[in-house]
Amino acid sequence: PTEPTRQRKEKQPFEIDFAAPLDPSVAETIYTQATSNSTISMPKKDWKSKSRNLLPDDKHFSSRQLLSLFLKPKARMSNRRRLLTGRAFAFGSAAELQSGGGNDVPEG
Amino acid sequence: TQVATVFREAQRTTASHRKLAVTLRKIQEACCYEPTSAKKSAVAADDFDEDDFNNEFVRCVLRVMPVKKSEGVGEKTIRFIGLFLRHSIDKDNEVMGEVDEDTSTMPETPSTRLTAQLMENVLPLMTAKDKFVRYRSTQLISHIINSLDAIDDDLFQKLRSGLLKRIRDKEAMVRAQAVLGLGRLAGNQIEAEPNSDGSDDDASVGLLEKLLEVLQNDPSADVRRSLLVNLPILPNTLPFLLERARDQDALTRRAVYSRLLPALGDFRHLSLSMREKLLRWGLRDRDENVRKAAGRLFRERWIEDCAGTPPPAEGQPVEPSPPSIDALLELLERIDVVNSGVDNGVALEAMRGFWEGRPDYREAVTFDDNFWETLSAESVFMVRSFNDFCRNESNGKFESLIEEKLPEVTKVAFYLERYIKVLIDAIKRANGQDEDDEEEEDTVEQEFIVEQLLHIVLTLDYSDEVGRRKMFALLRQTLSIPELPDEVTKLTVDALRDICAPDAAGEKEFCSIVLEAVADVHDTIVDDVPADDDESFHSARSEVSGDSTPTKGGHGKSKSPPALSEEEAAQKAIKEILINMKCLHIVQCMLSNVAGNLQQNDHLVSMLNNLVVPAVRSHEAPVRERGLVCLGLCSLLDRSLAEENLTLFMHFFSKGHTALQITALHILTDILNVHGAQLLSSNPTLLKVYIKALRGSGNKISPEVQAAATTAVCKLLLGRVVSDHDVSAELLKTLVVAYFEPASSGNQSVRQALNYFLPVFCYSRPENQDLMRAVALDALHTLYNVREGLDDDDADVDDEMVSLSTIGACLVDWTDPRKCYTPGTSHLESEKKKDVNGDVHLDLARDILERLGGNVNKEEKKVIATLLGKLYISPASSEPKIREVYADVCSAVEEQLV
Repeated sequence: PTEPTRQRKEKQPFEIDFAAPLDPSVAETIYTQATSNSTISMPKKDWKSKSRNLLPDDKHFSSRQLLSLFLKPKARMSNRRRLLTGRAFAFGSAAELQSGGGNDVPEG
Repeated sequence: TQVATVFREAQRTTASHRKLAVTLRKIQEACCYEPTSAKKSAVAADDFDEDDFNNEFVRCVLRVMPVKKSEGVGEKTIRFIGLFLRHSIDKDNEVMGEVDEDTSTMPETPSTRLTAQLMENVLPLMTAKDKFVRYRSTQLISHIINSLDAIDDDLFQKLRSGLLKRIRDKEAMVRAQAVLGLGRLAGNQIEAEPNSDGSDDDASVGLLEKLLEVLQNDPSADVRRSLLVNLPILPNTLPFLLERARDQDALTRRAVYSRLLPALGDFRHLSLSMREKLLRWGLRDRDENVRKAAGRLFRERWIEDCAGTPPPAEGQPVEPSPPSIDALLELLERIDVVNSGVDNGVALEAMRGFWEGRPDYREAVTFDDNFWETLSAESVFMVRSFNDFCRNESNGKFESLIEEKLPEVTKVAFYLERYIKVLIDAIKRANGQDEDDEEEEDTVEQEFIVEQLLHIVLTLDYSDEVGRRKMFALLRQTLSIPELPDEVTKLTVDALRDICAPDAAGEKEFCSIVLEAVADVHDTIVDDVPADDDESFHSARSEVSGDSTPTKGGHGKSKSPPALSEEEAAQKAIKEILINMKCLHIVQCMLSNVAGNLQQNDHLVSMLNNLVVPAVRSHEAPVRERGLVCLGLCSLLDRSLAEENLTLFMHFFSKGHTALQITALHILTDILNVHGAQLLSSNPTLLKVYIKALRGSGNKISPEVQAAATTAVCKLLLGRVVSDHDVSAELLKTLVVAYFEPASSGNQSVRQALNYFLPVFCYSRPENQDLMRAVALDALHTLYNVREGLDDDDADVDDEMVSLSTIGACLVDWTDPRKCYTPGTSHLESEKKKDVNGDVHLDLARDILERLGGNVNKEEKKVIATLLGKLYISPASSEPKIREVYADVCSAVEEQLV
């Protein structure tokens, strides 16, 4: 009774008619058993996951690593290439790119 | 019919469920307790008895079974069924309770009979052919299990085995429901364990084990997450639950931080290493929402555990305790800040979020004289993190807090001096004694305190001349102490550079000051020569060397003058090595801060000749290797020096151990970055060094070296250091192959770097995309051969390497002209990019057609032919090119190539 308009919207598309007699086709749906256990079960090979569904270690690779010198991490690479910073970020936030991590990597 | 009416209402909204349950209960009472009152018979038809009611009830329930998952009415009705059964059982128990209170077995009541009948009817539906029937029946049973306090034993066994079969259902939605019910059963049985007999024990253990297995292995994240929040938290389940902090699914990882860990109670029960891991994983997660949840956990829950107010009663809002600095210090201790607060540790991130999210603590914190005089690892880290936060976050919004709360430069210098003295005394004391754990721990803490103070020093404003002079003198003097630990030395040098002016004159001053200190340190070798004069001092010193470095002592023996005994000579040699190492380290720290030209700085030239060059020629490997790094750093300042020594660095790569190979690669790459790639073009061997390192394992290259080389080459390509087309192409092709090759599957550093680099590289410039286009088919060809070489019988082929069509799709995607950055448009406007020049794909099409006409393997032709369909043909491409491709396609069709 509190929000009648919204609720009506939700229920209009579908409602169970509890009073009506059971449609034979629906009854069939309910009572038809699976022909065998295997037809409704996961194949056994999917029972085990090699990775235990865990992520690999994140290496936190980021644009910063590509834009600084190895020996002088604080110093930026020469001016000529400073332009690049803007570009590298143009393809999504740094975090997003960094997060690519193992997920999109072909698993192996 | 009245029952059906209630159900009809119940599917609409959960708000009226309570009222409807009462109504339905009245109907049920009227049917089951007919004789008790005349009033009730008015409510229901008189000829309606318990069986009729139950049948009607079950009939209605069955109507829910075929309802699709997406329909809300199904879930609402099922929740109503659970609510009603619960209500009705409670009512029955009220009635029964008066009759029989002490019974330990479950009394039979109309509601238990109804429940039993319902379950008997629904159970078989869990193996129905239709997936929604299985879903709803499983959902209903799990929901009822979670609604009820007790279940009849026989029924329990049936439900359990029925649900157990469903944890292997083909449909994830069914499995997710099954584990919901079983999680409750597993929890129940554990609680009951002390009373139950042996067979039950086995059963419950078996159940829990099965569920834990599902938690680890189920391919659906929903199922795993559902288990994560519903399994009982027990000593034997906890490790499995916490492991989900690294689940592949972000929502599941977040659930660990936002649901499991808050529900866990006091975080201090977790082991120290577990706390650190959870914090690190969470705060550095690739998903922002996980990071947020972890941050909140730290600053709201963990601090609360330390603040020590008892948890609020259930249902009441959690009210944060007033800020307690002691609690914060304890929290820092509990995350072992001495270890987690170092350079790459997670404590700094944790505290950044803490200061951000806890304005109350920002206000409450004070740093008075007493605070500074009694610094501990925790308190110094508190002030350091506070200082960092206020200076770096929110565009200086909090800088006023620093003026308000932190002392001026002179005072900081005064305290720093004091703690440096404490540290050096502690080190000397520790050196004097034989290994003493307590002393050592104290030294570690003192070192940590000085490091943190220096981190603050690095951020201070030195416009105040008095403070600047004081700090400058202190740092200069500190640097001359030979015992100064490496990290402290580095920070001291960095701070000195900051205090000197940023211009060339400042850099000169900086160099001369540091080199003075180096000379002071070096002089301690000479000071020590009359060893007889100060026997005890001498031996005390040599003991340090014995346990603080892995250096072998024997090498220097032959050089010692005959006057000294063999032992003394050895000790002297060791000391010389140590002092040399120390000097080189200072120089290395200095050079990382220098950018000017080497030849124009006399200090640097003489340092190069007197210290670095002899070091590189040293017979002592550690000295030689450190000298190499310094020579590398010098080479960055002088092009001709770099050219002269290129061969030397390559020599270190080919002859060195893993760490040295990496250093050599770093030096070489930095040199190319600074001085340009002409050095690479004029040195064919250098290119071979890179290629060899990139190819990795087959060439006796360790994974670490391969990773370093990958990063190095990414830098060279992305920075457009390498300009020669053939060289770039060769490097890029090698990277693409390395990315997909099964050999690199275990090398996450390589994979993740390339996963980042390849799209960024391709999409940043049309030229890069064209380079990728140029190498694409060659790379694919190589990978085709790699895949052919894999043992076909091996079922794991797909685990080791993605299919060639996937690789092909990647290559097409990377060369897709619509995805390339064009100046002036932001990435967000990509929809507008339809009419971009698409020559890249046209060229790729021609490449493909050419190959199809060539004599490559038929299978490979199949793979590349399918790529044609994925190319983007843009109307904005250059017209002659479109015509050419069209002509090529026509002739290919005629020749039946396609």
